[in-house]
Amino acid sequence: MTTDITIPKLQAADIPTATRRPQSMLVETLYNLKRNRSAMIGLAIISFMFALAIFAPVIAPYNPLQPMLDRDDHRGLGRLPGRAPCIHLLGCTLEEPEHFMGLDLNGRDMFSRVLWGARYSLVVGIFSVAIGITSGALVGMVAGYAGGWTDDILMRLMDILLAFPALILAIAIVSFAGPSLENALLAIAIVSIPVYARLARANVLSIKEMEFVTASRAVGASHKRILFIQIMPNALTSLIVQGTLDVGSVVLTAAALSFIGLGAQPPTPEWGAILSEGRNYVFTSPHLVFFPGIMIMITVLGFNLLGDGLRDAMDPRLNRN
Amino acid sequence: MTTFILRRIVLTIPVLFGILALTFLLTRLIPGRPCTAIYGERATEALCSAFDARYGLNDPLGQQFLNYVGRVMTGDLGDSIRLSRPVVDLLAERLPVTVELAFAALFFAVIIGVPAGIISAYKRNTPADYFTMIIANIGVSMPVFWLGLMLAYMFAVVLRDTPFALPPSGRLDAGTQIVPFFVQWGLVTDATTASPILVFISRLYTVNAILTANTALFTNSVRHLILPAIAVGTISMSIIARMTRSSVLETLNQDYVRTARAKGLRELTVVMRHAFRNSLLPIITIISLNFGLLISGAVLTETIFGLTGVGRTLFDGISSRDYPLVQGFTFFIAFAFVLINLLVDILYGYLDPRIRLS
Repeated sequence: MTTDITIPKLQAADIPTATRRPQSMLVETLYNLKRNRSAMIGLAIISFMFALAIFAPVIAPYNPLQPMLDRDDHRGLGRLPGRAPCIHLLGCTLEEPEHFMGLDLNGRDMFSRVLWGARYSLVVGIFSVAIGITSGALVGMVAGYAGGWTDDILMRLMDILLAFPALILAIAIVSFAGPSLENALLAIAIVSIPVYARLARANVLSIKEMEFVTASRAVGASHKRILFIQIMPNALTSLIVQGTLDVGSVVLTAAALSFIGLGAQPPTPEWGAILSEGRNYVFTSPHLVFFPGIMIMITVLGFNLLGDGLRDAMDPRLNRN
Repeated sequence: MTTFILRRIVLTIPVLFGILALTFLLTRLIPGRPCTAIYGERATEALCSAFDARYGLNDPLGQQFLNYVGRVMTGDLGDSIRLSRPVVDLLAERLPVTVELAFAALFFAVIIGVPAGIISAYKRNTPADYFTMIIANIGVSMPVFWLGLMLAYMFAVVLRDTPFALPPSGRLDAGTQIVPFFVQWGLVTDATTASPILVFISRLYTVNAILTANTALFTNSVRHLILPAIAVGTISMSIIARMTRSSVLETLNQDYVRTARAKGLRELTVVMRHAFRNSLLPIITIISLNFGLLISGAVLTETIFGLTGVGRTLFDGISSRDYPLVQGFTFFIAFAFVLINLLVDILYGYLDPRIRLS
């Protein structure tokens, strides 16, 4: 007796299909980021600050370094240094020239100074993080790849740097190098090296055991090629996310150094330095302190929101499928 | 556990030695001679060479370093050049202000941050949650020194004649007389001969006020601490609130929380006993990691609020090239930082056996 065994034909519709085409990590991250409302707010804030920084010469009504004392339109107004804000819409008389944020102690327009200040904070924030990541990645990758005593010595050095609270070490370095914005930028970068070095080392340790690295070693690639062409691109992603998260605190530290006189020097319109100039007059002219501080806060908030969003967007546990 | 603790302590020793070397080198590399910084225009060549000889600044660097290490081992951090007093005495005198400030700030951060985080997690995605998280996000973004200045303006000028007015500067009201507890207790007859430890404790004014049962002094010193503590603690508070929220959110989704609800426990018991207690570990870590933030905050706020603590002394020392002082204070801060991290590591190993066994 024979039984017919019929094998059902496989239909295209029977094959389970993925609900969504698999995407590259970058596309996936950007997609997640776009759906994250607070990250988008952060991005908007940062873009706004960049616009202010770039167009400061166009938007600023006055030269940030020029005192109003010798201007014709400011004659007969009485005392100018530290003058409170004058906004026509809010009832300031039309005869008086408009100063949205008032005048500083040298009779300079605060609004113009605060606008120009955006340039310094953004430059310091981004450059010191970039320098920190580059140096940290180099130290961490060499330590992780070489292993042995190279690893031990480099990482113990990093431990020593980490043993200081960041601001204290930055203060010590700047006071050795001499107070200036450039030295403050470098000091903040140096202080952040150990964090990136540890991260880079951890990444390299896991990547160097992967098969594609063994393969390139087998075909005779040099250490330099393996480290920089094969391992580095794979080790950098988490460093960049960490870097974005750090820009905010770097901006804060830079402002703090300027505030205690170790960063930007007067008359540079850096926010921390402006704040420092006005600190002793906060009880009589609070506007000298209020506006630069608000700008620092908004900028840092922008970077923090974007950094948090980026971290969430790259976290595979939070992906939707 | 003992092996774990011993291993952690041994690992700390090279780091401490590195800190010594680094603080020594950094202060030696500060440009400018200490002699010219201290005597200004009066600094003649003869005066300066006598000065250098007296403080051993002519010796080779290696010799100076060995001398330094030897002295530190015996608890001698040298004499401050500008103030002509032992650095250890200065520490005993000025550290209390910073310690009180840091603890007050931490207290503020925990007392507000932890409940805010729990409520935020429990009321997830409600206006209460959004509000807390907006405040927390703004809190981490504020410059400490700006917040300090704004608080001083708010409470000393705007609210001047209201019951909410608070003093914006100084550690105590001007003219306040302090009787150290060891004098009142009759332990020491002459306050100038008391040991640094006793001086240290008596200068924690809130503690001294409690020990001498002086309520007026207690309110006086607490009132002066409120504003700087809020300024220093706000960033930590925001970080703690965010950490508590995410940690409690995770435990709220666990099966045992559902079980606790299913067996009819009160909601408060479920949240506090089952969810919050199990999310404590990351919260404790984040609280202890905030020490660095508190110290940095203290350095920035002490000058604003007219408090003569470690931060302000260190800052004055840097601008007057007072090597031994800067060296001693930086070393001490890093030393304390390392010790606290060590304690946290050990505590962590104690709380979580997986860490101690790995």
